Amino acid sequence: MKSPPFEYKRAEGAEEAAALLNELGSDARILAGGQSLLPLMNLRLASPAFLVDISRAGDLKFLHIDNGSSGASPLHVGAAATQRDVEMSAHTLRVAPILAEAIANAGQVPVRHRGTVVGSIAHADPSAEVPAAFLAQGGSVIAQSLGGRRVIPSEDFFDGVFSTVLEEVELVASVRVDEWPEGSGHGFRELSVTAESWPVAIAAALIHITDGEVDRASVVLGGVGSTPLWRPEAEAILMGSDAGAEAIEAAAEAAAAGLEPPSDTFGSGAYRKKMARVLTRRALADAAERAGAAERAGGKQ
Amino acid sequence: MPTVREHPETLNWVGKSIRRIEDPKFLRGRGNYIDDYSVPNMLEVAIVRSTEPHARIVSIDTSAAEALPGVAAVVTGAAAAEVTDPMPDFGPSPDKHVWRCLAVDKVRYVGEGVAAVAAESRAIAEDAADLVHVEYEPLPPVVDWHDALAEGAPLIHEALGSNVPFHRSFVFGDVEDDYAEADVVVSDVLYWGRSGGQPLETVGAVADYDLGSGMMTIHVNSLTFTSFLFMLAGTLKVPSNKLDMHPHPAGGSFGAKFWEVKTAAIAGMMSKVTGRPVKFMQDRLDNIANGDHHGSDRRYEVSLAALRDGTMLSMKVKVVDNYGAYIQFGVGHHGNSLAQAVGPYRMRSIAYDVTAVLTNKCQQGAYRGFGSEVGNWVLERMVDLMATELDMDPVEIRRKNFIQPDQFPYFIPTGNCYDSGNYEGVLDKTLELADYHGWRRRQAEMRAEGRLVGIGICTCQERSVFSATEFWFWFDQPVGVTSSPESVTLDIDAMGAVTATLYSNASWGNSPETMVAQFAGEELGVDPSEVNVVYAGSNQGLPATGPGGSRFTIMVSGAVEGAANRIKAKAAKIAAHLLEANEDDLEWIDGGFAVRGSPDRRKDLGEIALQAHLFKHSLPDEIDSGLEASFVHDHPYTTLPNADRTDLGVFYPFVGHASHVAVVEVDPDTGKVEFLDYTAVHDCGTCVNPRSVGGQVIGGTVQGLGSTLFEEFVYDGDGVLKTPSFAEYLLPSALDSPALKVGHQETPSPYTPYGIKGGGEAGRMMAPSAICAAIDDAVGIRVRRLPATPERVLDMIEAAED
Amino acid sequence: MNTSSHEISLTVNGRAVEATVESRLSLADFLRRELGLVGTHLGCEQGACGACTVLVDGRSVRSCIMLAVQADECELRTVESLAPGLAMHPLQDAFHKHQALQCGFCTPGMLLRCLELIEENPDITDEEAREGISSNSCRCTGYQYIVDAVVEAAEQMRQ
Ligand code: FES
Ligand code: FES
Repeated sequence: MKSPPFEYKRAEGAEEAAALLNELGSDARILAGGQSLLPLMNLRLASPAFLVDISRAGDLKFLHIDNGSSGASPLHVGAAATQRDVEMSAHTLRVAPILAEAIANAGQVPVRHRGTVVGSIAHADPSAEVPAAFLAQGGSVIAQSLGGRRVIPSEDFFDGVFSTVLEEVELVASVRVDEWPEGSGHGFRELSVTAESWPVAIAAALIHITDGEVDRASVVLGGVGSTPLWRPEAEAILMGSDAGAEAIEAAAEAAAAGLEPPSDTFGSGAYRKKMARVLTRRALADAAERAGAAERAGGKQ
Repeated sequence: MPTVREHPETLNWVGKSIRRIEDPKFLRGRGNYIDDYSVPNMLEVAIVRSTEPHARIVSIDTSAAEALPGVAAVVTGAAAAEVTDPMPDFGPSPDKHVWRCLAVDKVRYVGEGVAAVAAESRAIAEDAADLVHVEYEPLPPVVDWHDALAEGAPLIHEALGSNVPFHRSFVFGDVEDDYAEADVVVSDVLYWGRSGGQPLETVGAVADYDLGSGMMTIHVNSLTFTSFLFMLAGTLKVPSNKLDMHPHPAGGSFGAKFWEVKTAAIAGMMSKVTGRPVKFMQDRLDNIANGDHHGSDRRYEVSLAALRDGTMLSMKVKVVDNYGAYIQFGVGHHGNSLAQAVGPYRMRSIAYDVTAVLTNKCQQGAYRGFGSEVGNWVLERMVDLMATELDMDPVEIRRKNFIQPDQFPYFIPTGNCYDSGNYEGVLDKTLELADYHGWRRRQAEMRAEGRLVGIGICTCQERSVFSATEFWFWFDQPVGVTSSPESVTLDIDAMGAVTATLYSNASWGNSPETMVAQFAGEELGVDPSEVNVVYAGSNQGLPATGPGGSRFTIMVSGAVEGAANRIKAKAAKIAAHLLEANEDDLEWIDGGFAVRGSPDRRKDLGEIALQAHLFKHSLPDEIDSGLEASFVHDHPYTTLPNADRTDLGVFYPFVGHASHVAVVEVDPDTGKVEFLDYTAVHDCGTCVNPRSVGGQVIGGTVQGLGSTLFEEFVYDGDGVLKTPSFAEYLLPSALDSPALKVGHQETPSPYTPYGIKGGGEAGRMMAPSAICAAIDDAVGIRVRRLPATPERVLDMIEAAED
Repeated sequence: MNTSSHEISLTVNGRAVEATVESRLSLADFLRRELGLVGTHLGCEQGACGACTVLVDGRSVRSCIMLAVQADECELRTVESLAPGLAMHPLQDAFHKHQALQCGFCTPGMLLRCLELIEENPDITDEEAREGISSNSCRCTGYQYIVDAVVEAAEQMRQ
């Protein structure tokens, strides 16, 4: 299991990476942590002619909280920031704890030491943790090309199995994860056959509660479709509810309704569909509990 | 019957958990594993593996691969067949299901080798392998046992005329009478899925064929079955005395490197073709798809007959085993099952009907238990079913049927002998260590809270030290008693330092060096940590069989004992001379000879060795220089089967026992099984190094857990291997593994040195039974198919609700 | 096709190393094949098993899915660094005492991962050790003695 030959290029910055992509064309792939790509290459399931390494690009190695325009302060993650750094960062725990939880579930620590958050999102594995959490919390993808940058809303980014709306000549320079207001809670649940195997299914959920009523909700499922799946039907049921057991059950049912998940050796499509419901229920229960606690804590202030 | 031994009452080293002799090199990263070994000018091999489950090879175009810079040779199956003979095959009628190192004419499973490339590096070899173009004409695949038996099924091997290389119906005892007498008969259909050893290290070989001398030297981490290397020489078309195998420690085997011979054959073949040394190191894809060592893949129709009071009388077993495309070890796996077919119970008879079928899967090899683990699981499943049927406690039905300590040696209906045992002793220890009754109370409380908590118990056998006679039952005339010997040479140098030479590829995660050192310590009065253990090449070797079937520790203990006795016999002569005493007046005491009654008049082994090495001419004439001896230890107790095979003879007579208690909780929504507690008490006779035995038990249990809950080589209906890598074939992680409470009981064997029995396969032979019983108990429905994946368990829960 | 070569300079077990490496060479193969540091093992070459674990700038990494060229300017530690002299590292000693290895193939990677765990958490408990080592597969031991060894080594190293 040795990788096929390729040319390695190191980009010192985002612009240089974009220039290289532009020059090398469709045979080039971005290498950040390489924790998804290099295994595929060793298995000879991918054979790009060029790898453009951005793991040392100075302007991509950052993690901070932006001063948002509309009062919200999104978490901003550069393409060279490792999953482990993001997972352990106080910024992440403050703005996007669901992302930290998702990362903690993704791969093993040594893999997270090199793997990047942006890389995982750009890889667009429909059953991966990080894309699901990112989509659930919402945000945007900042795509860099030779011509400049464009911003893609998270809900528009994924368009198929291992596929995104990114152009060949673009790379993801960073992602912004929106901040949710005080009184929010999250839940992240996944089921895997062993502690370290790929998830069978994932549910990522956020709820915001005001005066005991849900006024914002987000439910995303992983592992049950060709992309991480946003479940607005479930959100609609939650809105205005008390996020109690009944509402959660109804939302979980709605989340799983209509799914036609793929089958593999970890579980059939039918099993995945059942798990989507179970995990949504559990993730929402966690989210509701945290949101409730947050609201109570906020109320006391 | 073999002589009953008197075991020494006090032992100095046997029984102590000393630090392992082999560990420092491993801890320092200097294990000298096969992939660490390279020689100058060496080529590396990659295999072009079949992408088709069943297809005729129309053509192979190697030109692009050959043109790649750095490529030395590309050899197709047809070309390989010109320089090699078929692979060694212990199966029935090997000429009717010919197995070759690379496929010729047609491929029979996804992953089978169709060509081999040798190049300056493995990476280039893989580049070239990608450039080999194979044109296939697909044939309909045969995947299920059921399809293989169907009328008009496509044939895996046309020469065989069917897909059934072996079928035989054995009847041991008066089965029909016993069924007629029975009050209750329970029956079931059970499936055991294919899992495998999957050691972290794959199989590799470095072969160097010397055109000048005709010597074929192969360094390898497999082929422990040293006595049978002449068969590999046959494949490679070299004289048997020109094949020299050099062992390297295996990075785990669990049976998977017992006799993985294809890797060495391919390396040897490529070295012959290229005239250069060649390394073939399987990668994980090779190992999973084409490693010839998948485990059992069986479907059972089985019934158990008992009296109303729970006395078990007889069992009828009808088993179909899906062997895959070849059948290298024949149905030896069922021989292993038959060695302990009635478990620890006084059952009077058993009918055993076995059908081996060939399909488009990788062939089976050895995996910890060699098929007997499946027999254990089926028997224990049936005992649990009988307990349910009779509304008996699962502990009590077992206790009621145990063979009693005073009944040993005990001959089971198949003919095998159980040497000794105290099964109730083990059971009682287990119940206590597990806090079984406490758990039953807690279980009731947890159930009241709606939790699915289950407790499972099993009581199982572990047969050890095969004599290989279980391979016989496809021959109408047994070819003779196979001994499966093990040898050792002990050499005491002039300073009294001991070197032990081993003759098999003994190191595969067991503790051969520690065992030998402890025995040498015991016999010669030296400190085991000062014993040097080395491995001989097979060409200068003595007969050896290596580990497998939990045999090595016992067999080598006899070899060390024998060699030490020879050394002591010579040393006594020298000591007598030096002490001016009569040899008969000397006694061996604390590592030297002393005159009986005057302990001050003594010579230590070191002093004797110095004399023996340097001053031969001061010694009596008949004593020659040096102090070393070899000993070949033959199987202590084996007998022939009878002609009609109503008695298979004694072939696996040192029989250990274990009881496990698993406490699990099942998630009612997902079907996931979690361990709340796990207890294992084992009796493998005298423990040489209790901590090592404990390690085998824990590791084996975790492997058993894997086979029970998720490990499986999955082929879909079209014959496509869905688990080609470690992303899909799952190994248990630390978080999947319970913390075990381990207990030992020691019921010595009367027939082995110190009373040792084998313990290397323990754990995996018991865990599936205990875990399945616990799952049954938690969800109220029986596990019938392994692995019991979360989805399957959830299906059970839903079925129970209906 | 031709692949480019790259000059790299790095520190391996405290020694400066300069090398020219092919793009596709993995860090594991660089260590094993070019530097002869064969204590770093390969079990799967796809990042699943952890046999190839080394420390890169103090952090555990799967060296089978990192390129050698990516290790440029990094500081590497392999198992060979643990006990350069006669005495074994306390962690190795604890592994030896507890028989936390059988075939030894996972051991180098496991040791480095355990070293990192102890350095991050000198008071590591059984549960934390079990969770921490779940990143690395061991097919032999069933993990229990490794947990024992890590906890004891941490204790020794605190003193
Ligand atoms: S060899 Fe690198 S993780 Fe398995
Ligand atoms: S000791 Fe063999 S894999 Fe861990």
